[in-house]
Amino acid sequence: MSTENMRFLIVDDFSTMRRIIRNILKEIGYANADEAEDGQAALQKLRSSEFDFVVSDINMPNMNGFELLQTIRADEALKGLPVLMVTAEARKEDIVIAAQSGASGYIVKPFTKATLEEKVQKILLKLGK
Amino acid sequence: MADNEDLYVHVGKLTRQLHDALRELGYDTKLENAVGSLPDARNRLSYISRLTGQAAEKVLNGVDQTKNELERLTAGAAEMSAALRADPVAAVASGRVMGFLDEVGASTARADAQLTEIMLAQDFHDLTGQVIRKVVALAQSLESQLIQLLIASSPPEAVPASVRAPEPAPAAAKLDGPAVMTAGRTDVVTDQAQVDDLLESLGF
Repeated sequence: MSTENMRFLIVDDFSTMRRIIRNILKEIGYANADEAEDGQAALQKLRSSEFDFVVSDINMPNMNGFELLQTIRADEALKGLPVLMVTAEARKEDIVIAAQSGASGYIVKPFTKATLEEKVQKILLKLGK
Repeated sequence: MADNEDLYVHVGKLTRQLHDALRELGYDTKLENAVGSLPDARNRLSYISRLTGQAAEKVLNGVDQTKNELERLTAGAAEMSAALRADPVAAVASGRVMGFLDEVGASTARADAQLTEIMLAQDFHDLTGQVIRKVVALAQSLESQLIQLLIASSPPEAVPASVRAPEPAPAAAKLDGPAVMTAGRTDVVTDQAQVDDLLESLGF
């Protein structure tokens, strides 16, 4: 599949942030995206439909981004999915937890279009896409 | 005079008894904690004020620049229209039409970049929203502790029914949210470059 057709799942409890990320992804060539408002909703979507890339916040109700990441990595069908964390959590210990839990990348908010583009490309490059 | 002194002594004793009772019940510590949370709330409110101000500035700057682009394009289009009406062949042959079309492309690209900046500036809603939730939790916790103190220090009949059931204070969130105060802190990153350095040092 060409990278332009990749399907992204944007997970954030703030609809404004989901919309911002969705628009930037579109601007950098990834127009195929869906949204979920927390980890639980994201898991439901991931298990019922095909996605190629997850962009997730951490601080969310019901199921936070760490729990979502750990669940994805423990799930046989989902464990290979790239998961890019986009979060306001700026504590070094949280970044270390994300890395150890298998995050594919970590962006701290506020971020720029260039940063999101660079991290997405870097992850896809690593995956050989 | 003697009556007044007796009264003062009595009030003094009552105050001491109340203080001792509150200490025995642990309310002095609770009150200290509640008051101690106020500077944190103040810092968070300052952060919200700063961030919303910055976002508004960014949006207004972006709008100004985009409007300038549109004004230039409108003036250019009027000029081009007049030139084409006067002498279409000369307007094309002189390269003015092509020059204008190139300028339209460059100008709309600049306007588009400004619109992206305006869109990104809306991230303040997420960042301040997270901080506002924390301030609301702090206010709720303070309210709850003050109500408990009021109940503990008043005879039951003196407490209005409306304050008898304090809302339980929500448990403190495990996650920290946006770094509100970064000066002097070494446990937080302040920009993406620091995140990248940290991840690189971990072998990512």
